[in-house]
Amino acid sequence: MSTGDSPSILKLSSDLDIHVRFANPPPDLRAAIMRTQSRLFSDSFQPLVLGRGSADTDQLKNAPALVSLELMLVSGRPARSIVEETNVAIEAKSEAYSLSLRDGNNSAILSANSTLGLFRGLATFEQLWYDYQGIKYTLNGDMKIDDEPAFPYRGFSFDTARNFYPVSDILRTLDAMSWVKLSVLYWHIIDSQSFPLEVKAFPELSEKGAYSANEIYTEDDVQLIVQYANERGIDVVMELDSPGHTTAIGAAHPEHIACASKSPWSKYASEPPAGQLRIASPTTLAFAKTFFASVASNLPGKMMSSGGDEVNLLCWEEDDETQADLAQRNITISDALNQFVETVQGVIAAHDKTPFIKSDMVLTHNVPVLNDTVVVVWQTSEDAAAVAERQLRFIHQPSNYFYLDCGAGDWLGNNIAGNSWCDPFKTWQRAYSFNPYANLTLEQRPLVLGGQMPLWSEQSSSENLDSIIWPRLAAAAEVFWTGATLPDGTSRLGKNATSGTRALARLNELRYRLVDRGVKAIALQPKWCVLRPGECDLDS
Amino acid sequence: MKFLALASLIAVACQPAYGLWPQPKSAETGTTTLKLSPVFTITVSGPGVPNDVWDAVFRTEAALNKDKLGRLVVGRGSSDTASFAKAKTLSKLTLSLEKGAKWTSITSEAQKAPEDRDEAYQLTIPSDGSAATLTANSTLGLYRGLTTFGQLWYEHSGTTYTVDAPVKIADAPAYPYRGFMLDTARNYFPVADIKRTLNAMSMVKLNQFHWHVVDSQSFPLEIPGFTDLAAKGAYEPSKIYTPDDVKDIVDYAGARGIDVMVEIDTPGHTAIIAEAHPEYIACPGATPWATYANEPPAGQLRFADAHVTKYIGDLFSSATKMFPSTMFSTGGDELNTNCYGIDEPTQANLNSTGRTLEQALDDFTQSTHKVLEDSGKTPVVWEEMVLAHNVTLSVDTKVLVWISSANVKAVAESGHKLIHAASDYFYLDCGHGAWVGDFPTGNSWCDPFKSWQLSYSFDPVANLTADEAKLVLGGQHLLWTEQSSSENLDDTVWPRAASSAELFWTGPGGNVSTALPRLHDVAYRMRQRGIKAIALQPEWCALRPGVCDLTA
Repeated sequence: MSTGDSPSILKLSSDLDIHVRFANPPPDLRAAIMRTQSRLFSDSFQPLVLGRGSADTDQLKNAPALVSLELMLVSGRPARSIVEETNVAIEAKSEAYSLSLRDGNNSAILSANSTLGLFRGLATFEQLWYDYQGIKYTLNGDMKIDDEPAFPYRGFSFDTARNFYPVSDILRTLDAMSWVKLSVLYWHIIDSQSFPLEVKAFPELSEKGAYSANEIYTEDDVQLIVQYANERGIDVVMELDSPGHTTAIGAAHPEHIACASKSPWSKYASEPPAGQLRIASPTTLAFAKTFFASVASNLPGKMMSSGGDEVNLLCWEEDDETQADLAQRNITISDALNQFVETVQGVIAAHDKTPFIKSDMVLTHNVPVLNDTVVVVWQTSEDAAAVAERQLRFIHQPSNYFYLDCGAGDWLGNNIAGNSWCDPFKTWQRAYSFNPYANLTLEQRPLVLGGQMPLWSEQSSSENLDSIIWPRLAAAAEVFWTGATLPDGTSRLGKNATSGTRALARLNELRYRLVDRGVKAIALQPKWCVLRPGECDLDS
Repeated sequence: MKFLALASLIAVACQPAYGLWPQPKSAETGTTTLKLSPVFTITVSGPGVPNDVWDAVFRTEAALNKDKLGRLVVGRGSSDTASFAKAKTLSKLTLSLEKGAKWTSITSEAQKAPEDRDEAYQLTIPSDGSAATLTANSTLGLYRGLTTFGQLWYEHSGTTYTVDAPVKIADAPAYPYRGFMLDTARNYFPVADIKRTLNAMSMVKLNQFHWHVVDSQSFPLEIPGFTDLAAKGAYEPSKIYTPDDVKDIVDYAGARGIDVMVEIDTPGHTAIIAEAHPEYIACPGATPWATYANEPPAGQLRFADAHVTKYIGDLFSSATKMFPSTMFSTGGDELNTNCYGIDEPTQANLNSTGRTLEQALDDFTQSTHKVLEDSGKTPVVWEEMVLAHNVTLSVDTKVLVWISSANVKAVAESGHKLIHAASDYFYLDCGHGAWVGDFPTGNSWCDPFKSWQLSYSFDPVANLTADEAKLVLGGQHLLWTEQSSSENLDDTVWPRAASSAELFWTGPGGNVSTALPRLHDVAYRMRQRGIKAIALQPEWCALRPGVCDLTA
């Protein structure tokens, strides 16, 4: 990126034309352009300086106006839709773009190899403009940007089972994700507490397992959400967590669940209620196969997860049916677990999707997985190296850096002094300090696809969704988009990285932009500090 | 006697009424379903019923129609429908004052000194459909009873009902000061946010809004005669509380049984005054800020200067007219002496008058407090004014203990009445990391997060003698807003602040396990009323009391 030597003021002409300079632009790109066009003029974000831009008025009078933004595809191939580009394999995504604001004749040029790249460029373009009394302008009118992500997988993992979130919450979150160029919604849609997913093959699962009839994602809802995400360059990885975290299946099919709601829950599960799939039962295995196939067949993406975290062996040891099945088939529980994973991964692969799995399946239970499996490293960042040693690709989701729900006390009852298991709270600074290549050899680096911050919803709901994820999630978005080096060539984690003049200044700006667009991102500082970058640094 | 014994046996045998928060002093509830008539009305008997009582009655009736809260059980009340057919219907609640009591407004009762507030009431709801009765010695007591009444009702398939009839409650608070403090200076909050917060406060019978309205970062309060402070010190012209806004807020609070105690923090926490009056501020913007203030920007009143003392006295005098409360907080926390060490005018003044800094502080405090007392106000101060400084305070001065609950004893030994506001139990802002820049591994100074369970477990009279215990007026949760704004106000405050509401209404010693289902209930009801209280647990747990306890 270069921004010229001195401030170069540039206005947006009120009849700015965003012009597609190639044949047959796909409808989703045209819709994205319309949204950008609309936001450029509905945003009312003013620069975060004292006076909020009033000092720029004199310059604004004679400032040149940008009259057009020209979108170009450089590949020469016929344009594919953003949705199609989003649904290619993760390693094949084409998100690079170039943006030049002053390409002569008061027009800017945005070029990319794909419509997805153009979409990323539009997100950048939207971030350049301030409002002053209705005039939209930038002080970096000579800006030239060449951009591409360091990692293709930049996600947000969302638990909609501990507490339910309306579809509108998910759509708003997807919009905000797209503004910081996140590329994946990892949807932890069901769990032991509720089953809000309507499954075509087994409609009774959500009828009986959802919190209420109003708290179900119908097939139409899922299609709407996936389409909405894809149109915004966001892939959806559905996680059907199994064989643990499945008690809610028992509401409709008690025959498939071992140790259902068994007490004390802490002996049989990581959290209440206890209950896991009867993996040794041929009937349950058949059920899982149909269940996964039914969900997978309706999803366009190339990735799907079978979860697999926190299985509890005692639950199966004390389950008479499971023990009888094991005895009859003359296999061990570990054979049964391997067979279960092989089965569901087989279904995922048969639907032309890459299987994802949680790291404890591989590291704790040594379950064999398909070679192209992507491992979700979650317990601790230390596990990444162990997964890499097994030559498996993975994404970073370590609880000691990225869990958005930590630090708000224990949600379990009757535990006065209890803390969250993953204390303390993960600050944006902590997430921002993450190094995706820590403890990896050069040869292992290509195994890192990216990472994501998760929100587990024991203590979250629609009421605090925006405020618990924003703007913290944006810190991880930059970790995995920008990588180790900033545009000026300095290290992203160099000296004063989180100063109010550096990452914090930009994060403050993003926060105010999010609020301007109706996303309730929290204040990171008193506004006094926000308007005076650096003056509220620790040592200033 | 036989009937009473049986009734109390029922109350003991059945589950408690989950809707009640705070738990009444004495409550007998049954297990009979009682429906609310579609033409249910609340009648008030007596001449000269004040307008705010009628308004409270109408709001209660409206909430009964609008809450539509499904009971927090599996099925959300579908299993209750079987009992609807046989259930009696309640069509009337009668409010009356006890003999000899006068019909004064809720507002005027709420704005009395804490020691003079009468919030007791008696509520009886028979299960046979005959009229329910609510009696009290004051309209404020009636208002608290209406709040209790409103917590008993659920809705399923168009029927509003309770499962707790008959109900017999005799209630009164353990402590007269039950507050919530909001800082509107670090970040600004629109009037609508404050009103919604007052509404939520009234749902759990809080009676004191402590408004930390200004601070070093911004001065959003327009004070008649001193309008330049907000004009130059507010974040934006649209972020100023005008006198009309203040009246609106004070009246809204009063009608909901809440008194508004303003805090104009002095002599520290005043840097922003320099925008309009640089001559009154020592060390404005001095760096490194950490040497001269607890947080940026540095800057404190030149209190040794007689002009400044008079200015603040006049400012207090004007501000007292905006706030009818008997209490007025002058703050007094975190005074930084380094700031005055480098301030030449202050040093010159001390030299010429032959005073120490502490003596000058004493003069300033006595002088500005006298203005308050002449206006009929009781000064309220943060604990340092008693524990860290050698200043003369009137015996009536009330003290907020904030640094640590360990300081309560020392404040009590000073003989001043005290209000619990300890950071180690009641600070809502702790645990979210550092907000200062360039401090990547920083934590909040008051780590960790204060869970509702921790606040709930607080003992207001720990280590106090019986006489010292009498000095405890009550307590409050507090929200300092370095990391809060309109966007996360509700979810940072609710339902956690309800835990101190019960602690100071019902008294200490509550059990977190039996409290949790009731706290869920009030949080779900808040959501029905548009207050974005956070989830304390997965809904699965909220519908199954006790099943998600640690050892369940």
